[in-house]
Amino acid sequence: MTSAFLRAIVDTLLPGDHRTPPLPSGTAAGVATELEHLVAGLDGALHNVVLHAVATAAGGQEAFVRADALGRIASVRTVEAEMPGPFRALVAVVLQDYYEADVVLLAMGWRAEPPQPQGHAVQPFDEALLGPVRRRGRMWR
Amino acid sequence: MAKLDAVDVVVVGAGLGGSALCARLSERAPHLRIVCLERGDWVDRSAMPAYRRDWQSAALGAWATSPNVRLSAGGSRSADYPIDDSASPIKPLLWNGVGGSTINWAAHVPRLHPSDFRTKTLDGVGDDWPFSYFDLEPYYDLNDTAMGIAGLAGDPAYPPKRSPRMPPVAIGRMGEAAARGFNAMGWHWWPADAAINTVDRGDRHACNNGGPCLMGCPIQAKASADIVYWPVALRNGVELRTHCVAQHVIVKGGRAIGLAYRDGNGATHEQPAAFTVVACNGIGTARLLLASNIGRGADGALGRHLMFHPIAYARGMFTEELDGPRGPVGACVYSHEFYEHRPGRPFTRGLQLQVTRENAPLHQAARLEPAWGEDAHTRLREEFRHSLPVMVVAEDLPDARNRVALAEGVAADGLPNIRVEYTLSENSRRILDFGLDRAEDMLHAAGAYRVARVPLAPLTGWHLLGTARMGDDPATSVTDGRGRCHAVANLIVADGSLFPTAGAVNPGATIAALALKIGDDLAREVGR
Repeated sequence: MTSAFLRAIVDTLLPGDHRTPPLPSGTAAGVATELEHLVAGLDGALHNVVLHAVATAAGGQEAFVRADALGRIASVRTVEAEMPGPFRALVAVVLQDYYEADVVLLAMGWRAEPPQPQGHAVQPFDEALLGPVRRRGRMWR
Repeated sequence: MAKLDAVDVVVVGAGLGGSALCARLSERAPHLRIVCLERGDWVDRSAMPAYRRDWQSAALGAWATSPNVRLSAGGSRSADYPIDDSASPIKPLLWNGVGGSTINWAAHVPRLHPSDFRTKTLDGVGDDWPFSYFDLEPYYDLNDTAMGIAGLAGDPAYPPKRSPRMPPVAIGRMGEAAARGFNAMGWHWWPADAAINTVDRGDRHACNNGGPCLMGCPIQAKASADIVYWPVALRNGVELRTHCVAQHVIVKGGRAIGLAYRDGNGATHEQPAAFTVVACNGIGTARLLLASNIGRGADGALGRHLMFHPIAYARGMFTEELDGPRGPVGACVYSHEFYEHRPGRPFTRGLQLQVTRENAPLHQAARLEPAWGEDAHTRLREEFRHSLPVMVVAEDLPDARNRVALAEGVAADGLPNIRVEYTLSENSRRILDFGLDRAEDMLHAAGAYRVARVPLAPLTGWHLLGTARMGDDPATSVTDGRGRCHAVANLIVADGSLFPTAGAVNPGATIAALALKIGDDLAREVGR
């Protein structure tokens, strides 16, 4: 599996966008590097099956790399339809790496730090909102 | 098999039911020798993912709520066994260890309504409980005091609650948006009762709204049985043996004489006891009792009448910015406008509308369709911190065809494999559809410009109820009103398996109250 092919796959699944702030592509977020490590390891067998299928659907790895965006999407959709379970497992893996990348979390308007220890600020409760409910009679039986 | 010294009471399971019973019984009858066997271990709070940057993916692996997912991921702290849930659209969720499923619960602790204890009498469906809400009320109060409850007095959907409350958990922008919608519809709503500190209480801190409660609370703001009931039980002399898997209840002459169990080194022991208590949740309890050949007849109630709380989601999209995953996930606001049975509706009994916090970015992205490509980015941009989920929680009525049953083969823990057979009833489907329509009405009234629906959420099987139900008739129930098995009088059940009916609210407060009551009943019998 060539690096160029894996980068092309990752950026087809995670193209990023150009809003403000922009979402980076999967490769720019470091996902392709993670995927290279994964498919080279023992846990990569299932994902390799999917990746080979995409290459086959495209006419080879180089052909997939050379294809335009629509051509790549068509090849990926073919494999998604053929083997939805394994394909979804591959997507899950790249989503995990992507949405845990600091640059992506920040682009989503979130923060890179985990929930603890600082927690989050949530605005206090305005009890006046309950006025109409408090005026109701007993509801329970 | 080594035979150990006899004890007065052996308890299986150190979760909510087992721990509450151990704490109460040891307090009321301090002369008893009580041993609790727990298949798992204490949870290590320093290992909880909320401090780590990979906390989102941890929730999809070793810290998932599903034992099957955790087993697939490997390396979980929960001592899980596989559950064949292929014949159930709702997948069981639980935790196996000291504290049980309170380790990864949301700590939303509503009580049942008084009418939930009398469904047969009032509405002609289900079965009446052997006692009333008001019989259980003192034990609800005891549990409230032990756990510490954040909430607000005066909810007209309930009788007045006497136990003190901390200020409610902040409902935030999402709660206020929902309140706007409920008020516009003229419907009931109320801030959730939560077993979550909103002020420092003893050695437990106030919640800082970190959010991922379902992966454990490392700051101990969220109550769980390991930090609430076990310190009391251990101080009172209860012996807790971890990594010990009960294999079967030993019955002779119609009485339980103890338990056979396997310890962490694989050695087997016989623990003689005057009373045996089983509190392993709605699946584990049935599994152990069925494996012990108790009530195993084809028509027996044991393992049957499994009830979940079927859940659907309506998710409203708002232009305004909301809180997203900030705040305790399950403790925001709820509506009981449609909780009580009303003739003329297209279903029997009722539902809760529960507003929750949102998912973290990864979890929200993982459930979207399409999951990849430009459209996936666009959809997540639209939803993240702009969506408001409303859970429709249906009351599931008992049906003997829904059950947990032994399956072929033996699991690695030495017990038979287990499977869940469950079909969503027509009544539950109609409740969910009605509730989705009402949730959509509310969300539009609150300002949502679009509402997306999830007709039935599969990974919501937190509440495992009814498989060793209480009742007077041994043909249709497993235990009496004190949790005593009809077939074996000194064998006691003390968990959610006992529920004859389910109501439409989270069962944690009722499970704890039941276990405290059973502890009192047993203390009275053996003398103080």
